[in-house]
Amino acid sequence: MAQIEQSDGGKKKKGAQKKMQIHVDFTPMVDMNMLLITFFMLCTTMIKSQTLSIALPAPVDPNQQKTEQAAGDEVNERDAVTIIIDTERDENNNIKHDDKGNALEVVYYYEGFAPAKGEDGKLTPEGAAKIKAYSFEGNTQENGKTVYHGIREILHNRNKVVAEAVNDLKKERLENKIDDETFNAKAKEIREANKSTSPKVTIKATDGAAWQSVISALDEMQINQISQYRIGTFTEDDQLVIDTYKANNPK
Amino acid sequence: MGKIKVKRKSTLIDMTAMSDVTVLLLTFFMLTSTFLQKEPTQVITPPSVSTTKVEISNVAKVLVGTNEAKDKVRVFLNITGEADPNIPEDNPGAYSSENMRANALRMAAAEYESLTGHNPGITDKDVQVFSKIGTFGVPMMKMHEFLSMSQTEQDKFVGDMENDMAGIPLANYIPDKNGTYKGKDEKISEFQIWMRVLQNSGNPALTEAMRLDGSGIAVKADRSTPFNKVNEVLESLRTIKLNKFTVETALIDENAK
Repeated sequence: MAQIEQSDGGKKKKGAQKKMQIHVDFTPMVDMNMLLITFFMLCTTMIKSQTLSIALPAPVDPNQQKTEQAAGDEVNERDAVTIIIDTERDENNNIKHDDKGNALEVVYYYEGFAPAKGEDGKLTPEGAAKIKAYSFEGNTQENGKTVYHGIREILHNRNKVVAEAVNDLKKERLENKIDDETFNAKAKEIREANKSTSPKVTIKATDGAAWQSVISALDEMQINQISQYRIGTFTEDDQLVIDTYKANNPK
Repeated sequence: MGKIKVKRKSTLIDMTAMSDVTVLLLTFFMLTSTFLQKEPTQVITPPSVSTTKVEISNVAKVLVGTNEAKDKVRVFLNITGEADPNIPEDNPGAYSSENMRANALRMAAAEYESLTGHNPGITDKDVQVFSKIGTFGVPMMKMHEFLSMSQTEQDKFVGDMENDMAGIPLANYIPDKNGTYKGKDEKISEFQIWMRVLQNSGNPALTEAMRLDGSGIAVKADRSTPFNKVNEVLESLRTIKLNKFTVETALIDENAK
């Protein structure tokens, strides 16, 4: 392939030049190309990273402070859900991991308004009993059915009607029965229809909670089709919730 | 007696085909890839099920780094302008990354001076150097000094997370000698000056992306960064009415976790 044959017309003439084979060695060319490929492979990114949209409440206008706060208190006790995220850290401020390499994240969960406080500044026993702790465990497939674990099970059950209706829609989309636009429109319709009964989640994070734990919590909202959630400010009362739970449930 | 003839075989391997393949591969990599951005600190973005892709043009990327003890935030900014060289039609290339950066530095320096009364002393040469830098993060008063350094020194300066001078200050900045803020009475941080300047940069696509759905702001923080540190940045954005934004994540399957 790399040689150029010089044809002599088939006849041997007197004084004709000797038949020569020109052979070009491509090995250095290949070497160089390989080096360049290696360079490009190591120095480039093929994947674009993904983004997650977050909308925080708009900053409070001093003139409108009162109306804004009044609007925030409208949440019905029956629908209110609070989750507080905490991540365990060691003395070097690094995240602790379990045997499987997952970060040790705790999700404190209570329904309704904040647990009642007694006169001594501690939570009342009824209040303390409301607090539960879960972790992010995702879901597994067992016998063709999706089984939810941890906080996802709780949130899924709280928002069962919407989550299952949207999951059915998702299946239809996967089978190409409907396109993305119809899916989005229908999913929105379902969420709107159940707006009054679906949970209103407040997500709070301790100071030490890892960024990934907060993102996981936001993910749970998406997975469980919860459309009404907000990121709240972590207060001393929330610390009290955690402390009470830890005191009542020593490891 | 007949001699056993040993046939001599040539060991030459024809490399032409191999060369063809490598050239094809090389072309593929050159055409499909974008170069890794040089960033002052390495961050691993948190996993999420969100599949929205990060914008490639008209986006202000906020990189949130921390020092070793994870108690100090270092904020860096990467300004990316319009990738299409034909926009806007009447003045093609006016919103390119380089023009956007040069413009932003001039505006931010002027804004800083009008608020504090300190002149950062940015020269035209500084602006030119600045327009070539991807991710930056230095206090405004250090900007001139930083831009006069060689590239290696610059990388060392912003790459040192223990250096208190690295990163754009998030705290309300120091008042002048009289203890007052000149001009306006409000307290905004240098980071907020930058974000506000970008919002008013005159590039309609960026302004819209920052205002409306938040796709013009991408916050990138490491997965292990404490939430209160990331929240400092988020709160800074929120107080200047940029309460919608995106955060960079890495894709995972929802069943995986």
